[in-house]
Amino acid sequence: MTAPLVLLERLSYQYPRSETLALHDISLEIRQGEFVGLIGPTGAGKSTFCLALNGIVPQFYGGRFFGRALVVGLDTVEQPVSELASRVGMVFEDPETQLTATSVENEIAFALENLSIPRALIRERITRVLAIVGLEGLEHRHPHELSGGQKQRLAIAAALAVEPALLVLDEATSQLDPAGAAEVFRVLRALNREYGMTVVLASHAAEELAEHADRLLLIDAGELVAEGSPAEIYSQVALLEAHQLRPPQVVKTFSLLPCLPSRLPTRLEEGLATLSNYAAQCIPAAPPLQHTPAAPVITVKGLHHRFTDGTLALTGIDLAFYPGEYVLIVGQNGAGKTSLVKHLLRLLDPTQGQVFVLGRDTREWTVGALARHIGYVAQNPDHQLFNATVRQEVAFALRQLRFPPREIASRTAEALGLLGLEAVADRHPLSLPKGDRARVIIAAMLALQPQVIILDEPTTGQDYAGARAILDLSRALHAQGKTIIVITHQLYLMPGYAERVIVMGKGRVLLDAPLRQAYHALDVLGATQLTPPQAVLLGQRLCPAAQLLTPEEIARCLTDSRVPGDVL
Amino acid sequence: MNTLNPSGEERRIQRRGGATLDGAPVAYVAALTAVMIAFTLVPLPLSVVIGFGRSFPLSQGLYGLIGWLLGPLAGALANGIGVLIGVFINPQNTTIPGASVAGAVAGALAAGVMGATGLRRRWALPLALLFVLEYSLYGGRAILQNGADARAVFAGSFINWSALFLFISPLRALCGRWLRHTNLRYVTVALFFGTWISSGLAHLTSATWVYFVNNWPAENWWLMAPAAPLEHLARCVIGAIVGTGVIAGLRATGILKPLHAAY
Repeated sequence: MTAPLVLLERLSYQYPRSETLALHDISLEIRQGEFVGLIGPTGAGKSTFCLALNGIVPQFYGGRFFGRALVVGLDTVEQPVSELASRVGMVFEDPETQLTATSVENEIAFALENLSIPRALIRERITRVLAIVGLEGLEHRHPHELSGGQKQRLAIAAALAVEPALLVLDEATSQLDPAGAAEVFRVLRALNREYGMTVVLASHAAEELAEHADRLLLIDAGELVAEGSPAEIYSQVALLEAHQLRPPQVVKTFSLLPCLPSRLPTRLEEGLATLSNYAAQCIPAAPPLQHTPAAPVITVKGLHHRFTDGTLALTGIDLAFYPGEYVLIVGQNGAGKTSLVKHLLRLLDPTQGQVFVLGRDTREWTVGALARHIGYVAQNPDHQLFNATVRQEVAFALRQLRFPPREIASRTAEALGLLGLEAVADRHPLSLPKGDRARVIIAAMLALQPQVIILDEPTTGQDYAGARAILDLSRALHAQGKTIIVITHQLYLMPGYAERVIVMGKGRVLLDAPLRQAYHALDVLGATQLTPPQAVLLGQRLCPAAQLLTPEEIARCLTDSRVPGDVL
Repeated sequence: MNTLNPSGEERRIQRRGGATLDGAPVAYVAALTAVMIAFTLVPLPLSVVIGFGRSFPLSQGLYGLIGWLLGPLAGALANGIGVLIGVFINPQNTTIPGASVAGAVAGALAAGVMGATGLRRRWALPLALLFVLEYSLYGGRAILQNGADARAVFAGSFINWSALFLFISPLRALCGRWLRHTNLRYVTVALFFGTWISSGLAHLTSATWVYFVNNWPAENWWLMAPAAPLEHLARCVIGAIVGTGVIAGLRATGILKPLHAAY
């Protein structure tokens, strides 16, 4: 038997100025050609684990390191990071942070030039890795002109160019739209299956890991909790939920049945096949309740927007948002979702058409005045954090708008309480985990008590529990009568929250319909490269007329098993 | 997070093969150089400066901060390259480019030594002697060679001699201690006075060069007397506000601290 590619022996690590261990007594092996998925809640130690594989932990961060990590036979404490970098390729969450060159080919050449690879060989490798990741013909394109998926594939290509034995990806698909994420998974699968590349991927994408990974490592609180095949790990639904993780929807669906199949399916096609073992009782979906709409709080009429570089971002948008609605806006990257909501806040002005907020054209509003009525939480919370304490951050806008001190204090306290941030009110916002940082921004926005709340990709980078906590808060605010507008690619999260869905593609509104109807408009979703949740696809196979949305709804439809021996 | 004891043997960590300059990662030096370029391009819009007939760039309030963040040598390098590129792009923000670069380098050196520990604290003596020499040349040329009124020169160079005096005084070590204080109020005070010292010595270095090239009329010393301290106060406020935010953020994120950083 060959030596393992990665050998960790009682590996523990403690960051500087931290009193706790980020990794604790981890012992495992990873063999050549494996595709290993790394799962765990936010803050579990997944990123630290990834960084430990190429010596950045501990050689860059310092701190205390215990045990041994051998990667490709090299001790990560004793070998220089530059030496390890030629054996271990790293790809991080945000491709923007990794791309520094002015063209695609220069980006790939950068590491090779630093390794003094001959020019002819660099040219050869550029051609080869671009073919592997499917970016041929884009050699001279500026990296920032690429789509999100293309950028991440370029980052992978740059990592591959040094011909590493191990490719490590830390949440490399979490910021991508479904099409971009699918592109990256397709490339990783090809690298693993066709080229024998060993891949370690930290991800919250349960459905994709079930599809592609050979083995999963479940890490929580720095400890290796469980390891096994996706089928073994994802079938332990209680274990996953205890660690704030979710199984693929197909697993969840069948785990809810009173008559469990002999083996829980983990992949969609297995789930579709297993469905045939069950009888279903289909009740067509009831038509959605028709509300008599009040006067719209926001009206968009004939909106066009063209950026200064000539790009047409929005074309002929006509929409109305009514008080107390919960609206979901979906679409591929570049569909115009964020451009649309920026018009509602007057962060962009229409090139043509009009936007009315509370009956007044946005051109008559100042951005500051609109901010009192429409709260906006941008995609990356860190871009909105700049105060030294959480309390100051929450109170900042109130101070700028010259609210009386007593009202600032009371509104700040109320918003902190609502988000459960009292205990960290005097801490620096950047010292908090990402999920909490997002909640700080939401608290700052809520302190203004806006009538309309816009959440732009609020669940990106959050684990399942964190995402649910944010959406539960949005639902509570909705129950208070606020109008909620959410932009997200994570469609599986939204049933039970949103009522209406606006599907956008190429700057146009492709569909504006109740959620149940929109999720089952597979052609429209496909046109903007969105993939419906697995439960919707199972529901389509089971009884399309019922327009089922969630594992719970499907489980209620599946009445009994047709196969006598298929009951546990 | 885990508070249990690890069972593995503790390893001695060395930074191997990482690109650092005097203990500061090259990436940090590059990033802060970029910051200095950007701030050198931006003239302070509320400047009262009449010292050299120009406004001064915002970067002058941050010379010290870069020294505290990176250490004296890496800070001097970041300041020097940043200001060199900045004044190349926007020459309106300098009288003599070399003088601006020398001042930026001196500012980071002075600040870095202020926050130094161990043997590096001894660098203060030769540095102080250098600044005494500069002031002697600066004031000496004005009074002895150009016949300016000694009282006017003394008043007009208040920010320079006061910075030199404070650099030699125990305030240098006190600022170094307070920069590391957990209470951010102490950090802010240290940044304010530390910027007074480091930017004052930076100003001394560049002013000496400029004065030897362009002797300004003797009357200008009196004009500088009220204006220069006001603009220097602006530098100190910039240094204190920006520095407090940056240091608070760096501490909060727990990002790797350069070997000779003073926060």
